[in-house]
Amino acid sequence: MSLLLASVGFGLVTSAVLAIAAVGFTLQFAVTDVLNLAFAAVMTAGAFAAYLVNEAGASIWVAIVAAMAAGAVLSAVLNYVVYTPFQRRGAAPITLVIISLGTALIVEFGIAALAGGINVSYLMSQGKTHDLGGLILTTVQLIIIAISLVVMVGVYAMLRYTKLGKAMRATAANRMLARSCGIRAGRVIAITWGLTGALCGLAGTVFAIDVGSFNASSTDIFLILILAAVFLGGPGNAYGAMLGALVIGLGTEVSAAYIDADYKYVVAFVILLAMLAVRPTGLLGAAT
Amino acid sequence: MSADALTATGVTAGYGGDPVIRSVTLRAQAGQIVSVVGPNGSGKSTLLKAIAGVLRMSAGKVVVAGRDLTNAAAEVVARSGVGYVPQVDDVFAPLTVRENLEMGGYLVARSAVPDRMEHVIEVFPRLGSMLRRQAGKLSGGERKMLAMGRVLMLAPSVFLLDEPTANLAPAIARTLLEEQVTTLARSDAAVLIVEQRARAVLAVSDYTYVMGGGELRLSGTPAELTESPAFVESFLGGHRDQAIQRSEADDHADTGKA
Ligand SMILES: Nc1ncnc2c1ncn2[C@@H]1O[C@H](COP(=O)(O)OP(=O)(O)OP(=O)(O)O)[C@@H](O)[C@H]1O
Ligand SMILES: [Mg+2]
Repeated sequence: MSLLLASVGFGLVTSAVLAIAAVGFTLQFAVTDVLNLAFAAVMTAGAFAAYLVNEAGASIWVAIVAAMAAGAVLSAVLNYVVYTPFQRRGAAPITLVIISLGTALIVEFGIAALAGGINVSYLMSQGKTHDLGGLILTTVQLIIIAISLVVMVGVYAMLRYTKLGKAMRATAANRMLARSCGIRAGRVIAITWGLTGALCGLAGTVFAIDVGSFNASSTDIFLILILAAVFLGGPGNAYGAMLGALVIGLGTEVSAAYIDADYKYVVAFVILLAMLAVRPTGLLGAAT
Repeated sequence: MSADALTATGVTAGYGGDPVIRSVTLRAQAGQIVSVVGPNGSGKSTLLKAIAGVLRMSAGKVVVAGRDLTNAAAEVVARSGVGYVPQVDDVFAPLTVRENLEMGGYLVARSAVPDRMEHVIEVFPRLGSMLRRQAGKLSGGERKMLAMGRVLMLAPSVFLLDEPTANLAPAIARTLLEEQVTTLARSDAAVLIVEQRARAVLAVSDYTYVMGGGELRLSGTPAELTESPAFVESFLGGHRDQAIQRSEADDHADTGKA
């Protein structure tokens, strides 16, 4: 019982981290048409940016802002320098996936070259532990969950109620028709890279906080979990990604409590494959 | 010439290979309904796409209200007061009906949006009862009405309508042409409309262009065209007298599809 509860606690934290990343990834994909496999590498770049600011003396919770800025800038740069030029030249979506994989390696090795291959961790305290009806969570873990909830509500509100959010959904649904409505799709796409890049930097930092110590390639496997959550929910569907993150986060951590923890990523994909066999478009389908 | 809301001159465009339409010239004045008819594949949609900025033209010129929009980006064309309803993919499927209308009014000041929406619902009353529904789950006819309502939100000075009556029952199609499309033109906009239902659209047109094989074949007022035996033969299905006497039920005799 307490093993189950403990693993549920871990699962919720993993879900919270994963949800931020998966929502960013899926929105990016929906609006820009790029399945950006460099997403996890940009997460790491954000985590390192936070590390630098944290090293310089700032609290990690302040450093998160630097990570978001770094993620936004790096993503916008990747869009301008890599993805949009290739899209303009008519590169097929599958070609862009391969290009993004190459980009991931370049970003990752770039970080490794700058930071060295060493593991780093933030200067921070984990805070007290709290017993929430058997769920044991630290203050830091509670903060991560709270940040994630705020992001989810914020993304929901933006997509539903703001002009920009609706323009993003319209652009995702039908870019040409959006332009015929007068929406400057190119600008919406650039803003989307910035916003989802900020989520990416945030996700990278809370990921690094959660795992404790990290290096340039720490998010490699996490990318797999992001993809599982995104496709479980239906690619391009932000609410699907939230649901997918919850299922994958809980599924991997709870299973890890009962079977060898090394298999938890296998579990993620077993869940995904089983679900896709039943609903090939994902839990909530493709649309946001 | 400057009185024309829309002038397209020598438009030549295609999809990468040989041009699909060659040197098409047409004009429409404010308050006019100008129709384009022709068999399937004759290039009607291609022409509208080129005017709407969705497709690059390799030659030609498009002027809207005195402004040169030749090969302008689609969003620039929209910002110049051109409302385009494509033949397919004409709504934002995952968005609700209300959100679709809001996107149609994207360029409209926020404070003016509710009034515009009210006006659109006056013109298309059925939209009013389905504002919360997802556009992708509407019937083909409901979708077309939404697509029309969407461009009406912009209150454009030029409407480009690509087969707005597709998927509509013949009687409803006729009503749409006679009432709603006519309403659009009455608001002092120019309506350029592509239609398969030659007879029905002729009845509401001020002027009609006939396309064939990517070129303009004929043009004239409906009265002039119905004097042309070749036109009557190919588009209205039979001799002129017979054609005119045809029963209502045949009214949707489709150009080219027949
Ligand atoms: N996206 C495209 N890529 C390549 N060729 C196209 C494309 N769209 C249309 N065509 C070709 O251009 C020609 C004209 O097509 P267009 O859609 O303009 O005809 P249309 O008159 O609108 O026909 P319909 O009455 O069936 O709508 C056709 O031969 C068609 O095969
Ligand atoms: Mg067509």
